[in-house]
Amino acid sequence: MTLPAFTMFALLLFCMGLYAVLARRNLIAILIGIELMLNAASVNFMAFNYFVAPDPAVGQIIVLFIIGLAAAEVAIALSIILAVYRQRRAIDIEQLTEVKG
Amino acid sequence: MSYETWALALLFAPLLGFFLALVVFRDRHNVAAAIVIAAGSVSAAASILLCVGGPQPTVSARWFHIGDITIAFGVLLDSRTLLMGAVVGVITLCIQIYSLGYMAHDPGKGRFFGFLALFEWAMLSFVYAPNLLQTFIFWELVGLASFLLIGFWYQKPSAVAAAKKAFIMTRIGDIGLFVGLILLFRATDTLDIESILTLYAGSSAGGAPTEIIAALLFMGIVGKSAQFPLHTWLPDAMEGPTPVSALLHSATMVAAGVFLFARFHELFMAAETTRMAALAIATFTAILASTMAVVARDMKRILAFSSISQLGFMLMGLAAGSLFAGYFHLTTHAFFKALLFLVAGAFIHRCGSNDIVAIGRQGAARTMKVTTFGLIVGGVALAGIPPLSGFFSKEQIIASLGQASPIIVAGAYAAAFLTAYYTFRMIFLVTRPDPESAAQPAGPADPDHAHGEPTWAMNGPILLLSLITLLISALSAGALVGAMSEDPIASILGQASHHASIAEMAPAIAIAILGAVLAFFEFGKKGAAQTGIVARMPGLERLLANRWYIDAIYRHTLVALATGIARVSHGVETRGFDGGADKVADATVASGRQVARRHSGRLQLYIGGAAILFALAVVFLGFRG
Repeated sequence: MTLPAFTMFALLLFCMGLYAVLARRNLIAILIGIELMLNAASVNFMAFNYFVAPDPAVGQIIVLFIIGLAAAEVAIALSIILAVYRQRRAIDIEQLTEVKG
Repeated sequence: MSYETWALALLFAPLLGFFLALVVFRDRHNVAAAIVIAAGSVSAAASILLCVGGPQPTVSARWFHIGDITIAFGVLLDSRTLLMGAVVGVITLCIQIYSLGYMAHDPGKGRFFGFLALFEWAMLSFVYAPNLLQTFIFWELVGLASFLLIGFWYQKPSAVAAAKKAFIMTRIGDIGLFVGLILLFRATDTLDIESILTLYAGSSAGGAPTEIIAALLFMGIVGKSAQFPLHTWLPDAMEGPTPVSALLHSATMVAAGVFLFARFHELFMAAETTRMAALAIATFTAILASTMAVVARDMKRILAFSSISQLGFMLMGLAAGSLFAGYFHLTTHAFFKALLFLVAGAFIHRCGSNDIVAIGRQGAARTMKVTTFGLIVGGVALAGIPPLSGFFSKEQIIASLGQASPIIVAGAYAAAFLTAYYTFRMIFLVTRPDPESAAQPAGPADPDHAHGEPTWAMNGPILLLSLITLLISALSAGALVGAMSEDPIASILGQASHHASIAEMAPAIAIAILGAVLAFFEFGKKGAAQTGIVARMPGLERLLANRWYIDAIYRHTLVALATGIARVSHGVETRGFDGGADKVADATVASGRQVARRHSGRLQLYIGGAAILFALAVVFLGFRG
């Protein structure tokens, strides 16, 4: 296994996440897409940490941070989605356009 | 009490009165009037006491230092300020009491008394000023106070216009005064008036700088004392209440200009050319204004024209080199002109008309004994008929013209003749009306403004001023016949009066009596035509009644020019600057609207756009780097 293989995998993962964020209309699906993108970033960190970095501890600490952050983010995002759903009985992003100019 | 206490009380009483009357008791008219009159009494008493006490060292309080220059406010107590201060104090008090009667029915009485106190405070502070800065500050405050009082009936458009005119015309002169004072400070390096006068006293080396300073100061005097060519504001200032006219024409406002000349007399004496120019302007003004008075029918306007002409006389005396002559006339004129205005006010109050023919037809002179007495005393004094005070002071001025050119002397005699003529014309038309005469009253009397016979508040001051005029006359006459060693006013001033012998006075007496006799044959004699010599020359009458068309010329040239410039500036301002700024603001708002319309609010479009841009950036940077 080499570094380009890992980065290609991470890129793939990221593009899948981005696609989900851009193409899906369901807020939950978009949230999952964001999670995928975060994980792609984590994979990148771990790969570079393993192959390049002189001190392996730094990359692992950052990945741990990202996991913690993702957990917190999911909690807040899900509660926002729930609140939106309670208010308007829909979580379709096409209908949430109040902030347009 | 020491003289310092009196000096401070003198200045602070009117200030306090002004504040209380205008700020606290404006709507409680009688309280405001009482406070102001009490303050006026304090000032009058203090000014008389100081005047009797003679010159004292300057009282002053330091305000701040800049380098070697000390800025101070204070009270300069030399002979010139003491006499003028007493004149201002006494006349202002008389007019304040008179206003009780005259303004009794006015809804703005409290405000009026507040302004009177402001006027008195400004004038006294100006008169007693020991340095140039205080002189200038209070000179301007005098102008402000007269602006407020001339425009007192601010609902009347003509009064507002007159107030504006007075303010702007005097401001034109004030520019000169301001520059002159700055140059004077630069030349002498001190603000202290006494040191400046010592510097110029006896120095014959005038030179160009002194000439320029004197000319600039004289410009201020021309504005304030209504000399040609800035005289046109004074007749219009009659729009104010009559007590204001009395105050404006005797002891304050216009007297400030003459007083400034007397104050800096040493400086003007050192500037030979300016002095001669001032003499010429003053003589011309004296004749010009008295010709206007000859055809005027409005009683207050006759007196206004006569003020301009008498101010010309005062400046003639001062410019000819006699401090005493000009100052003496300033003093005597202040009393009899205040008296005449109060008399005019009483007639107007009673008849509701300013027209002398209309006042005469109503027979007011028969019932109003005190007023008529005041009219005759003041009128005879103004006409310069001996033995009343106006004669002595005017004779002093003519005597002081000794070395001047014959044209100036002839001008002085002509003005004196016209003064006697128009004064007696007024007296005869008011006291000896002839219903058969050709002169018609100008319109019906306005009964709305007739308030009945004058009360004690109006008669008292008239009587008092008559008595003061008679007293000054008696003192001068006493000095003349040798009953007293020296004229009392001359001794207060510390100047020698040079009363001529009776033979030398003869022309002055003759010319005044000639004027009076001519007026008698035209207006006073039984069956006289009561139209006057000028009315037989319609062209001349039109010229004089239109005030030599000077106002019209100003209106069509200077005023039109200024209005044109103002209109262009207004156009540039509203359409150019404002319009430009508005366009920029409108374009900003419109472009904002346009951009806002492009925002769909669809999150995924934004993110997609951002992702594409980011990808493009990476590709570009990656290829370049």
